[in-house]
Amino acid sequence: MEWLSNNVLKHLREVSEMPDLPGVRYRLGEVLGRGGMGVVYRAHDLELQRDVALKVLAIGDTDSERMQREAQVLARIEHPGIVPVHDVGTLEDGRVFYTMKLVRGSRLDEYCRQPHPVPDLLRLFQRICEPIAFAHSQGIVHRDLKPANIMVGQFGEVLVLDWGVARVLSEPEPDGEVIGTQNYMSPEQSAGLNTDIDARSDVYAMGCILQGLVQKPAKPLRSIARKATAPERDRRYSSTVELADDIGRYLDGLPVSAHPESILDRARRLLSNNRTLVALILAYLMMRILLFWFART
Amino acid sequence: MDTDTRIGSGDGRFPETRHSAIAAARSGTPADRAVAHESIVAAYWKPVYKYIRIKWKSSNEDAKDLTQGFFLRALEKDFFDGYRPEKGTFRTYLRVCLDAFLANERQASQRLKRGGGTILLPLDFTTAEGELQQIEIAQDDSPDRFFAREWTRSIFENALLALREECAAQGKQIHYDLFERYDLAASDARATYASLAAEFGLSSVTVNNYLASVRRGFRRIVIRILRELTSSEEEFRSEARALLGAEL
Amino acid sequence: MNKVVYGLLLGAVLGAFDGMTAWFTPAVRDQMMGIVIGSTFKGLVVGVCSGYFARKVNSLPLGILFGLVMGLFFAYLVAAMPDPSGKHYYFEIMLPGSIVGAIVGFATQRFQPATQRVAH
Repeated sequence: MEWLSNNVLKHLREVSEMPDLPGVRYRLGEVLGRGGMGVVYRAHDLELQRDVALKVLAIGDTDSERMQREAQVLARIEHPGIVPVHDVGTLEDGRVFYTMKLVRGSRLDEYCRQPHPVPDLLRLFQRICEPIAFAHSQGIVHRDLKPANIMVGQFGEVLVLDWGVARVLSEPEPDGEVIGTQNYMSPEQSAGLNTDIDARSDVYAMGCILQGLVQKPAKPLRSIARKATAPERDRRYSSTVELADDIGRYLDGLPVSAHPESILDRARRLLSNNRTLVALILAYLMMRILLFWFART
Repeated sequence: MDTDTRIGSGDGRFPETRHSAIAAARSGTPADRAVAHESIVAAYWKPVYKYIRIKWKSSNEDAKDLTQGFFLRALEKDFFDGYRPEKGTFRTYLRVCLDAFLANERQASQRLKRGGGTILLPLDFTTAEGELQQIEIAQDDSPDRFFAREWTRSIFENALLALREECAAQGKQIHYDLFERYDLAASDARATYASLAAEFGLSSVTVNNYLASVRRGFRRIVIRILRELTSSEEEFRSEARALLGAEL
Repeated sequence: MNKVVYGLLLGAVLGAFDGMTAWFTPAVRDQMMGIVIGSTFKGLVVGVCSGYFARKVNSLPLGILFGLVMGLFFAYLVAAMPDPSGKHYYFEIMLPGSIVGAIVGFATQRFQPATQRVAH
């Protein structure tokens, strides 16, 4: 047998985990990404003649129930910011797959590698909060929010992905199992206190995302992120709606709930909100002073 | 920064179709242990040899002796008894043992006393040495990465040998030939389905189906080998990810 | 209140204030009444123009520029009228007048009529 070069090795690895699609209506395309639970491929729906994203359990993964659950959770939360599921099924090799809308855009972490004005990033952040707030209203907590699970479309639209580990609040879940991603996981998640998990756990993750989104945040923004990532749940925003509202107040130049203002802070905020007006008034006063000075001399 | 979703304890439901060689090497009867040892040697000898040659910069002859010595010592001294699945994968454990063994050997310079030069295990060092000449070694290859890649290569080679035998036994030679022509060809020399169909006198759909079936067989064999080489569900999952998921 | 009325009121107030600053120039202190009335009227006209412009064009820089030009133009008309001694105060009237115009232009652009604010 011939020696396996690195290239052939790579190809073999890809074909080994490729899903077998005879018997289903999809033709397989290239790998789009790998998540904690499965591999996402581009696939072509032969019946409806459209491209879709096909997610299938990675070969070493055995948790097909979790995958099926993800599809069910997604089907429950219809929102423009949440990728809709088209189809769920089982491949010939026994692996569960589901197809969803093919999202075009870049992941938030990739998107942020390009420079963007802070207000644009904050407005984007507000849009991310919307589908999450909607899911919360349906009793579902994402539990694994991180930049890699957020897609930014060509026109700035956002999509929250990977609901595979979402917590359905109406379903009891025993404590012990730690689910989430380090650096974005709330203390209650890190401690495996699954019964304590609620919307505020996602607020925590959003606070972590906010910290990563803006490199040198202004004081009020720092306070917002600090409040969102407070170790005690009761000190965090109670929902992502509240968090987004505070971001909105910051964007509008208004005081934010997370940051008690000193007189100096307030003056600074008013000055920075009305720079043009202040410049015009100063120009007027300077002009007047100069004119008087010339008149006297 | 850790960006991978962590899901606590494993709760695998895949059927464990094959007995784990690692578990047998640690606790089976002497006969079981010998068989298990054979499986471990089959999967690991090439990565070990190449690792000694490249990362320990040993000569061809020294590396042969050290590879033999390492596996014999492992059998004699029950190295693999010390493996604790909860502390990491067997692959990592074996590499740590190997490093310790090599450091010891180098320090004591007892290689010749051990009766160096005598081939004790039937290992094809000439092929392994030939392969070494073709290996593309990146400058920043860490010992871990190098060992993992060679381990992958070794497992895939073993799986392909088994696959070839299986196809021959089942009268599916044409399936394997297609697989060899398509999936084992260098990417720049890979034929298209259409050209393969013309060459083999089949339709493109049949080529597609045959390839899918051989790939399925290959995947099954890889999983079987991985099952043999891991001792717990969690380790199996982690190694499957390392084998099939991570970048080379 | 719409942008035109807002411009009118603000222009008048700022114009009056601008006129009152003439008090710091002792030479013209005895003509204060005329100056304040003239300046108020000038501000009022500039305010109406700026308010009307803001209704048609939604641009802060253009609004400021328009107010500045209007302020400059009407201040020129005022400055072109000589005082009793026959002296013209071009700089003293036109420079501050143009900035007051710019402020009114800025304010009319920023002003949101009540109905629009609700819709926003």
